[in-house]
Order: sequence, then C-alpha cells, then structure tokens
Amino acid sequence: MNFPFLTLITFIPLLGAVVVALIPGRREREIKLVAVLFSVPSLVLSLIAWLLYAQNAGEIKFLEEATWIPTLNAYYRVGVDGISLPLVFLTTLLTTLSLFYSSYTIKKRVKEFFALFLLLETGMIGVFVALDLVLFYIFWEVGLVPMFLLIGIWGQPQDRPQYSAIKFFLYTLVGSVAMLLAFIAIYMTTGTWNILQIPGLKPLAGNPGLAIAAFWAIFLAFAIKVPSWPFHTWLPDAHTAAPTAGSVVLAGVLLKLGGYGMIRILLPFFPDLFKQFAPWIGVLALISMIYGALVSMAQWDLKRLIAYSSVSHMGFFMLGLVAAAASLEVANPVLTSRAIALNGAVLQMFNHGIITGGLFFLVGVIYERTHTRDLKAFGGLSAKMPVYYGVMLTTALASLGLPGLAGFISEFMVFRGAFALIPTYAIIGVVAIVLGAAYILWKIVQHVFLGEFSEERWQEIFNPAHWHFSLDMARFEVITMAPLLFFMVLVGIYPAPVLNVINAATTALLAML
Amino acid sequence: MRPQLPTLDLVPLYPLLVVTGWAVLVLLADLFVQHKRALGYLALTGVIVAAVVTVALWPGVPTSFQNMAISDGQALFFNLVFLVTGALGLLVAIEYLERKDLQRGEYYALLMFSLAGMIAMAAAEDLLIVFLGLEMMSVALYVLSGSNQRDMSSIEAAMKYFILGSFASAFFLYGIALTYAAAGSTNLAQIGSWLSGRGIPKDPVALTGLSLLLVGFGFKVALVPFHWWTPDVYQGAPTSVTAFMSVGAKAAGFATLTRVLYSAFSPTFTTDWVTVAAVLAAVTMTFGNLAALVQRDVKRLLGYSSIAHAGYVLVGIAAASPVGVRGMLFYILAYAFMTAGAFAVACAVERREQSTTTLADYAGLAQRSPLLAAAMLLFMLSLIGIPPLIGFWSKLFVFRAAVEANLAWLAVLGVLNSALSAYYYAGVVVQMYLREPGRSPAEEVAFRPWRSALAVAVFLAAAATVVLGLWPGAVVNLLMGV
Amino acid sequence: MAIPLSWWLTVAAALFAIGLYGVLSRRNAIGVLLGIELMLNAANINLVAFWRFITPQALTGQVFAIFVIGIAAAEAAAGLAIIISAYRRRRTVVVDELDTMRW
Repeated sequence: MNFPFLTLITFIPLLGAVVVALIPGRREREIKLVAVLFSVPSLVLSLIAWLLYAQNAGEIKFLEEATWIPTLNAYYRVGVDGISLPLVFLTTLLTTLSLFYSSYTIKKRVKEFFALFLLLETGMIGVFVALDLVLFYIFWEVGLVPMFLLIGIWGQPQDRPQYSAIKFFLYTLVGSVAMLLAFIAIYMTTGTWNILQIPGLKPLAGNPGLAIAAFWAIFLAFAIKVPSWPFHTWLPDAHTAAPTAGSVVLAGVLLKLGGYGMIRILLPFFPDLFKQFAPWIGVLALISMIYGALVSMAQWDLKRLIAYSSVSHMGFFMLGLVAAAASLEVANPVLTSRAIALNGAVLQMFNHGIITGGLFFLVGVIYERTHTRDLKAFGGLSAKMPVYYGVMLTTALASLGLPGLAGFISEFMVFRGAFALIPTYAIIGVVAIVLGAAYILWKIVQHVFLGEFSEERWQEIFNPAHWHFSLDMARFEVITMAPLLFFMVLVGIYPAPVLNVINAATTALLAML
Repeated sequence: MRPQLPTLDLVPLYPLLVVTGWAVLVLLADLFVQHKRALGYLALTGVIVAAVVTVALWPGVPTSFQNMAISDGQALFFNLVFLVTGALGLLVAIEYLERKDLQRGEYYALLMFSLAGMIAMAAAEDLLIVFLGLEMMSVALYVLSGSNQRDMSSIEAAMKYFILGSFASAFFLYGIALTYAAAGSTNLAQIGSWLSGRGIPKDPVALTGLSLLLVGFGFKVALVPFHWWTPDVYQGAPTSVTAFMSVGAKAAGFATLTRVLYSAFSPTFTTDWVTVAAVLAAVTMTFGNLAALVQRDVKRLLGYSSIAHAGYVLVGIAAASPVGVRGMLFYILAYAFMTAGAFAVACAVERREQSTTTLADYAGLAQRSPLLAAAMLLFMLSLIGIPPLIGFWSKLFVFRAAVEANLAWLAVLGVLNSALSAYYYAGVVVQMYLREPGRSPAEEVAFRPWRSALAVAVFLAAAATVVLGLWPGAVVNLLMGV
Repeated sequence: MAIPLSWWLTVAAALFAIGLYGVLSRRNAIGVLLGIELMLNAANINLVAFWRFITPQALTGQVFAIFVIGIAAAEAAAGLAIIISAYRRRRTVVVDELDTMRW
C-alpha cells in the first residue's frame, strides 16, 4: 500500500487553505467554491480508505513513516485502524457539509472563514492519524487557533463570542500543556514517541508516583476536550457562541479528539492505572451523563440545550470506555463484554458526531430565519415547516436513542457492556437515557413544533426581507442534512459495515492490554 | 632581555573586525552621503559580509588572540543570532526612522558598534574582553535609546537605561576584581582550572565575585529582581531600537553568562549557580508573565514578556548540561525571530505622532492589514509555544533539558507559565482579529509586501518562525556541532 | 613601607559602598553619575591592589584598570550627553521627575 492516503487526506485541506488565502478577498463566490472543492478529495479518499480497510480489518494500515527531527527521535508517522478511520471519515464528511452550508450563510470576512476552516480540518484529521506523540501534539494544537478565531470572529454578538473564544482557548491550552509534560516524562523513560510501541514498553513503570501524575495530566487534557464534568464549562459558551458550522465541527469532531485520545493513548499506555482509577472516572462519566441531561432540560436556548446534551452523550462514551477498562481479564465472556462496551463507546463517538452535528445544522436552519433560539418564541412550526419538522424529528429521535436509528445501537452496546462489567454504574446511568428522552421530546419537539402557532409572534421574529430562500428547509439545507440522515438510518438498521471495522480494531487493542 | 612581541592571531576576531570597521565606514560615509537611508543599506551590507565571514569560520577556530578570544561553535552561533537581529533591526529602522523623521547616519553606526560589542562578548575568553564588549554594546544602546530627541519618553528611557546599566557595570566590574583576586587571572579557562584544581573548600572571595557577576548579568539580561528598568526602557526607546536591543542585548548577556558559568565557575561552583539560576528562572518567568497580564501598552507588554522569556532561557542554563546549552541556544534564536518580529509589527502599526502603541491600536488589524496581522498572529502563537512554530521547539528543548537535569519542578512551572502567558498574547490576537477597526485604513501605514524594508523584516521573521518550526532539525543539526 | 592588602580592600569596599549609597539616594542625575564613577574606581583600586599583591609578574590587573578608566570616561561622556538632552527638554536633571512612563 504505497499510495499516501493519509498524507493526502490530511494535507489537501491545508493546500486548500493556502489557495483560498491567495484569492483576492472580493471574489467571494470563487473562494466558497474553491474551499468546498478542496474539502471533497479528503472526503472521497477517506471513504475509499475505509472501504479498502474493511476488506481485512485489524491492525494499523496505510502506515507512512519518515524521519523528521532525528535528534529528538521524532518521526512523521501516520496510520489508521478501525478506531480512527470512522472518525477521520466523520471529520471529512462534517467539514465538507459545513463548508457547503457556510457558503450560503457566511456573509462577513468570507476569505478568512474558509481558509481557517480548512486549516482546522487539517488539524483535526492530523490528530486521528498521527502515531507519534510529537506529531499528535502538534496537530492537537494546530486546530486550536482556527477554532478560537471561528468562535470569536463569526460568533453571534449577543453570545459574548470573545469571552467564549478565550475560555475555549485557555481551557484547551491548560490541558494540552499538562499533556505535553506527561509526554516528555514518557519519552524520558521509553526513548520513543511511537504511540504503537510505547504500550509494550510499560512507560513509567518504575516510578508509580510519576506514572499517576502523568496519567492524570493526560486525562485532564482529554477530559477537557470530551468534555467531562467538571471540565465542561467552556463547552456551552463555545457552542452557543460559535457560528453554525463551527458548532457542528466543535460538537461533531473536536469533542472526539478527547475521546479518541483516551482510547488511543491513555488506555493502552496505562491500562493498570486506568483500571485502578476506573471507579472515579466512572463517577465522572455518570455525573456528566445525568448532570448534562438535567441542565439540558433547564435550558430555554435551543443551542445551549444541545450543547449540554453533548456533555450527557459524551458521558455515555466515557461509561463504555470505563466498562472496558474496569476489568483487565481476558477470559472469553469478559473479553466479549469489554469489546462490546468499547465498540459501543467508539460507535457512540461516531453517532454523536453525525447526530449532534445534524442537530446544530438544524438549529442553524431556524436561527438563520428568525435570529432567535429562544424556545418560548417558537411553537406550532410543524405545519409551517413540515420538512423541517420531519428532519428534526428524525434527528432528535436518533439522539434520544430510538431503536432503528443510530443512537440506539451505540447506547445499547455501551449499556450491554456496562451491565456485565460495572452493573451499579449502568443502573444509575439509565436515568440519563430517561432524562434524554424528556428534554428532547418536551423541550425540542413540544416547544418548537407542537402547540399553538401564533402568527403575531412569528411576525415578530421572522422578517422575510432578510431571508431569500424558502420558508421551509431550503434546498442547500436539505442537501446538507441528507448524508447525515442517511448515516443515522444506515447505522440504525444495518450497523455491520461500521461495527465490523471498529470491532476488529478494538479487539486487537483489548488483546494488547 | 629583548622584549618579545606577542603573536596576535586575529582569525577568531574577523567578524568583530568586519563589523567594527564597517561601523567606522558608516560613520565616515555619513559626512558625505546626503540620503541617510542609503547608510542603512550600507550598514546592512556590512552585517551580511560579517555573516558570511562567520559562516566561513564554521565550525570554529581554537582560542587565540593571546588566549583572550575564541570563535568556537557557540560563539559563531551567537554571532549569527546577533547578525540576524542586527539585519532585522536595520531593516526595521530604515523604514521607521524615515517615517518618524529621525533619519540620521549615526544611528546606523551606533547600531553596528553595539553589534560589535555583542560579538566581542560572545567571543570573549577573558573577563577583560567581556567587560570591553559589554560596555561597547551598552554605551551604544544608551545613546540609541535616546535617539528620538523630540520625544520625552525616549530621553527618559535613555536616562534610566544609562543609570541602571552603568550601575550594573560597576557591580560586574567589582565581581571581576574579586574573581581575579581568587584565581589570579582574568582568563576564563585559567580561572576554571585554578578554582577547581585547588581541592580546597569553596573560596569565599570567588563566591562573592560570582554573586556580584550574577547581579551584573541579572541587570543586563533583565532577570527578576534586577528587571525594573526593562519595561520603561523598552516602552520609551524608539521602537526600532527596542526591536534590536530586546534581542541583541539579552542574547549577548546570555552568551557571556553561559561562558562564565560553564568554563570559569565549573565544576566546583556548579551546584551553587545551578540553584541560583533555577530560582532566578522560576521567579523571572512567573513575575514577567504576571506583570504582562495587566499591560495595555504593547511595547510594555512585550517588555514584560521578554523578561519572562529570559526566565525560560535561564532554565536551559540551569540544566547545566550540553543538552541544556543547546536548548538555550535554540531558544535564543527562536526568541530573536519572534520578538524582533513582534516589535517590527509594532513599528508598522505605530503612527507618526505616537511613540508607542496601545492594545487599542491593534483593533481590527486583520481587516486593515491582513498580512501584518497574520505575521503578528504567528509571533504571538510562537511566543505562547503553540506548535508547529519555532517557539514550541525552543520551550520543548529547554524543558526537556530541565527534566533530564532533575529540575522537573522547573519544567512544570515553565509549562504552567506558558499557559499563563497565553492569556495576554491571546489578548493581542483578540484585538487584531475579533475587534472592529478603530481607525480608518487610510491612517494605517500601507503595508505593501516587497515594497518596504520593514515588510521584508516582518516577512523574514515570520518565515523563520514557520520554516524553522516545521524543520527544527536544521538548527538542531547545527547545534550538535557546537 | 608596605601597606597591607586588607587596607586597600577596605578603602575600595568603602568607596564602593559610598558610591552605591550615592546612586541610590541622589535625586540629581549628575550626583548619580558621580556615585557610579566612585563604584567603578573602587573596583579599579581592587584590580591594581590584587595585581600588586597576588600576581605581580603578570600585568593583568594594571592593564585592566587602564581599560576601565578609558571605558568609564566614554560611559560618562555618553551619560552626560543624555543628561544634557534631558535638561534641554525638561529643564531638570532630577531623576524622579522623569516619570512619564508608569504602568
């Protein structure tokens, strides 16, 4: 396999960013077109890579390696397995859709927006494909600045975008510097940055105190990103303030960076410590799940509601991960339960990206028309916007875990694994599912679509002079949502293609611990 | 007995001689040349020639000039840093002085004299040369700081710099005298062998001398608690001068400090100065960053940030290992590009009637002048230590050296400090990108790439920040030979 | 005939201390400059004394002192020029009154 799939997938967007930057700022149409076009090759290539990988899944594939900084022993080393590949695909898909959607909705500072978004894509994909800690760290940070600017520049003025952007920036930075120190400590004892080799070398095994410190330092970085309670407070602000496409990528991909890091780095590097601390991390997961859902239920801002629901849903992911880590036995039924839990966790990340990404697009749909997200301002829209109602209902039900849609599969697997391995946690966790159903049905469906439609109120918030497309979902909005709906249904009724790929990698990972 | 004429081997001093000679040339040309701008380019040519000479001497020549000067890899590397800084400083000045109506020939000559002083410091193998270089550099810089006679804060900066600088020199000289008393020589290598060869407990006289030398260095490179002149001088001096001296003077100070500590006060006194350096590094970076948090004036903010960076550099020195020295050298090179670049941007943003820039002056810079803002963004991110920019590697190298030297606490503190510093650097970014322009684009100095010397300086610094960030190996390989 | 080394050192240390006090307490820039000169010359006395008592065979201390005298003169010239330009501008040489920059 000599074709440099991953390098191309990662760096074509960067090239696109440079090209966009070179186009004169006045030529907005060309900029938008070029940006969307430059995001497509990565999408196509990642799909091809997935199909090729699925033929015989298992170990790391598409490996590319080159010496980079010899004195530091740092390599340019990339590769993917069944855990990272779905996330790479998710990234390219959501980025292309976001760029397409934004080409209709972004009005100010167009050139900067599209250049930064493509740069962001490079950073995000890079994290998923990097197999060298230095490279991983670099990509981790590369995405930080574009996201900071996306929130800050294109955020809605009433949502304090500058405050939110700085908060996002500093939270992430604090976590990542802690992580960097831990990486240096690991390098000191193992002499390599190779993510695949380090687990075998038992990093910091001779120094338990330092190992615990390193474990928590890395955990902090990833937990901030996931985000786990109590490190989640940047998320509602950032999601709410960000422009629609920014929220989509933030929820759809950036949160996955943390989750992916936990699976790819934290768990294999420190399996024993992870097992030792699993009860505590499990508690954090439960709090995130239930607290996120409760706070969600209390929101009257539609976007903020979905932001908090992310906290809750990423808690499900963490619960699955904890279940897989809580027992290191390899006896067969146990291994199966662990694999199920971990598969569920990975799939939950993928599903959450698809579903919550979609939800944020759908918030954008209503916000672009009315310039409000206040749930009290809506009501009875099901008749006025039937297509929108249908799409939103499907996505919302997928989010609450209705059987037949994507969310159900992953949540079911997480709980199937958790009930076998950490039953107490699983029982408590079920509360979150119930609460999830409550806020989605009561808050979103009830307040936006059902109830009385008030023409008076609608006149107040909707000004036809500012909206040039159809009142119901416009064609570009439907096109944006279509692929996401497709995957929600596909994974919901026929998850095998996705799960096979994930399962092969998670089994290999668990066998290695 | 016939008096013996000493043989003077001048080879290691070639870069120094080129720069000094060229400075005299600029001074003479000033008498005849009407277009003072041309003198700037004349000086720049000299700097380039000196750089070529420096590269030709690579990988170094043994001690000579009566064992008083050496041009080893470290000295040559520092020469390159100085010359790069000098070149950037000249490019910035050519444009800046024109706009400020300060175009004068002696500015360029003085800049080259101070450059000569720096080169002498890096090449010094004898405390006499150290002192000579130090004063040559400092006196020229005092005058440069005050070169804007119409601006009171420039004069004030010169006055403060002069008083505190010569105050520090006095401490330094007293330290030299005591060291001489303890070791019977002013040659660094001889001091080293004498102090560690006697096999007796530490000489208190030498220890006092070392302390006084450290105080002197502390002033010159602005370590807390000897830093108080820095913000005022950096803010008050013409911005083109600040761009040059914030890097050059600091780099020269560290060049000599390393030399003195590693060859004269090693290994007998190593534990002493390692402790002192580690504590000073911790205090310096923490204080510098904390003080920078509340600044509204960008030059002052960068002044405090430069204090913090002196602390990071000192971390490399405190590691007391070859890895630490290489980390420190890398750091200084990175610092040169980032800081000189940031001050160059400050020059471009500064209006004719201003002598400094507040944060508000940067509001909306991304829309008024996208390239300038992008360059400043790179410098700020690099100063925070965001990869893949050069500032990230410099921090990685010094912190790694600290961890290896069992100074993990210092590395942890340094990393926390980096996170802290993100707040005020991000503040500049917020102004540039997230705020709407406060003044009309017409007021902005038109920033046309390749049409102005200032633009070239900004571009070179930004390019180095990115390129050396992507291939730090290029510099590291060079340093492995040091 | 011989004055012991310790006497020289005491004088030098006293001069240094007086100079230091002058720099720190004087508000007049000229006074501060004088203090600095005292400190430099204290070091000079040390250098010459150490040469005489410790390494009389090599001229290091003497040469060093001569260099320092030259350098100190250059430094004083530059310093006075700065003080004069401040005086022209502000009609004062009192250091405390130069306080346009504050945080």
